[in-house]
Amino acid sequence: MLSRRDETLIGLGIMALAVFLLAYMVPNWIVAPRSVRLIFLSPMFWPNILGWVLLVLGGLLTLRALLGTAPPEGQADSLAISGPEGLRLVVMTAMLVVIFFAIPVLGMVWTSMLAFVATVLLTGGKRLVLGVLVAVVLPLALYFFFSKVAGVSIPQGDFVRLP
Amino acid sequence: MSFFEALAAGFGLVAQWESLFFLALGIAVGVFAGAIPGMSATMAVALTLPFTFALDPIFGILLLLGVYKGGIFGGSIPAILIRTPGTPASSATALDGYPMAEQGKAGKALGMALYASCIADFVSNIALIVFAGWLAQFAMNFGPPEFFTLIVFSLTIIAGVSGDSLTKGIVSAVIGLLLATVGLDLIFGTNRFTFGNANLMGGLNFIAVLIGLFALPEIFAHVRLPRERDGKVRGLGHVGVAFDELKRCFKSIFRGSLIGVFMGSIPGIGAAPSAFLSYSEARRTSPNQANFGKGEIEGVAAAEAGNNGVAGATLIPLLSLGIPGDVITAIIIGAFMVHDLQPGPMLFQTHADIIYALFIGLIVSSVLLFFIGSVAIRGFRYVADIPPNLLFPSVLVLCIFGVYAVNNSAFDVGVMFAMGLLGYAMVLLRFPPAPFLIAFILGPLLENNFRQSLLMSQGAPEIFTRGPITWTFWALTLLALAFIIRTTVSNARLKRRLREESRRHGEGQDEATG
Repeated sequence: MLSRRDETLIGLGIMALAVFLLAYMVPNWIVAPRSVRLIFLSPMFWPNILGWVLLVLGGLLTLRALLGTAPPEGQADSLAISGPEGLRLVVMTAMLVVIFFAIPVLGMVWTSMLAFVATVLLTGGKRLVLGVLVAVVLPLALYFFFSKVAGVSIPQGDFVRLP
Repeated sequence: MSFFEALAAGFGLVAQWESLFFLALGIAVGVFAGAIPGMSATMAVALTLPFTFALDPIFGILLLLGVYKGGIFGGSIPAILIRTPGTPASSATALDGYPMAEQGKAGKALGMALYASCIADFVSNIALIVFAGWLAQFAMNFGPPEFFTLIVFSLTIIAGVSGDSLTKGIVSAVIGLLLATVGLDLIFGTNRFTFGNANLMGGLNFIAVLIGLFALPEIFAHVRLPRERDGKVRGLGHVGVAFDELKRCFKSIFRGSLIGVFMGSIPGIGAAPSAFLSYSEARRTSPNQANFGKGEIEGVAAAEAGNNGVAGATLIPLLSLGIPGDVITAIIIGAFMVHDLQPGPMLFQTHADIIYALFIGLIVSSVLLFFIGSVAIRGFRYVADIPPNLLFPSVLVLCIFGVYAVNNSAFDVGVMFAMGLLGYAMVLLRFPPAPFLIAFILGPLLENNFRQSLLMSQGAPEIFTRGPITWTFWALTLLALAFIIRTTVSNARLKRRLREESRRHGEGQDEATG
């Protein structure tokens, strides 16, 4: 169980998400016909209901965190992430963004090879030689399976093209 | 198609060598993946799913069912040898399996786990064959209001997969229902949350969502804390179980199988409670009660029987009603969907040959599991040696290729990454991801049946109580809710009591040392 403070913040966050959904997302990003005969049939009906349910649940989480028994000191799970851990997570997230944009440019096979080696390095770089070997073999094997057996057109990129 | 014609057509499908090959391959992959600490049967099924696109529907579905069954047994191998359950349900197996391994009887424990798994799996498959067709026949009478009430009842599954906090489980489910609304509205054809992006008009790809939600958070967790695997692999000792030992455990195996069948057929309960219930029942009735927890072979048998007894039974609601019984069967729905098959009562009418082929294939899978499991027990040492810092990058590459292959869409890869981030945030904030996935699958069914019902009745809500079937489902929903509330309240009381006891204990120790 998380600490009282963390649980309260989570509850408030859920409420904020619900308000954002009801006040901004549903009115602006759902197109509803001008006249809907029955309110239940409107494309907005279901998301609105879900938004209100989320608001109530966020309130419940907040109330429970504020009024319920808190876990004894030192026994609550911590949400704290140390500096190096946080840095690795940020780099990993950035890597996913780079992979997404690199696939059309470099092709899926080369991007996957680089992503594999980068992940090995990010987690300490042990067994790097074996890692590089697997990084080359695995994407190539998957490329041949999907493109030659399954008939999927794997993106090749603008530079080196595979047969 | 009559019963015998469907049976003959199903037999014709299974009798091909490819069917047996893909079933055996699935079991081998499942046992292998289940045996790797850090992988789970769920992740293995999710990662195998994209490889089924190129296959005939029957081969693809048999492959996935093989992975499912193999994965559940595979989870018991690390539970016994290194006390690291490959699946949550294998935790009960570790209670007696690991002490047996410490006594040099790992081979015996694994042998018994295999016998119990195969027998329970067989019993569960028979239950599936007997009940699924009957239930599907009954469900032929369902219209949109009946389906709506059934899905409302099925959403109580969420309580079973919510873990510690029911409220957080429901929040997770509501977010899943919300994301299921993305795309074109089915009645008016207008955009909902598409942000002007044409890729979102068809909604979020189910496979991208599930792989992102279940595989990527494991990668993030490894990146955050890259650790070498700890836990010493125990020697196997003599592999094999004496007939007397099997005979002594048979009652527990059979009882565990029935517990598994019963709990598996109710959506949302899953294998872990079944394994623990079977274990505790065996302990309660065993003459060797005192030896439980210290290396009792009957404990291993009971836990594995309860665990595997669920595997066939979870397919009963899936095949007959189109409702997933647990997270893995929710993923298996994906295999049906990519082949344009919709599980549910109509499948028994339109593709009876596939249904009967699945039934026959499942029976064969129990036998194949026995042989493949016997080999896997001896080969575990090599599986356990796969270093995590090569395993997780491999999973990442598999995810990228697999998700892209679904629709030839790089956009889906982006959806998977976004879902991976969301999934990891949920893990950190203690929101269970399983309710999200189940709600994401059931969401469109719930909304469409709700709106279709109201269209039928011109807006009169009485249609939701139009007959005995809807009344039955409302009553079942109320019963389930009452049960959930009662369990939640008693769990909260128990936790409070334990917390107070630990506080008193701490104060007592302080006084003693002070």
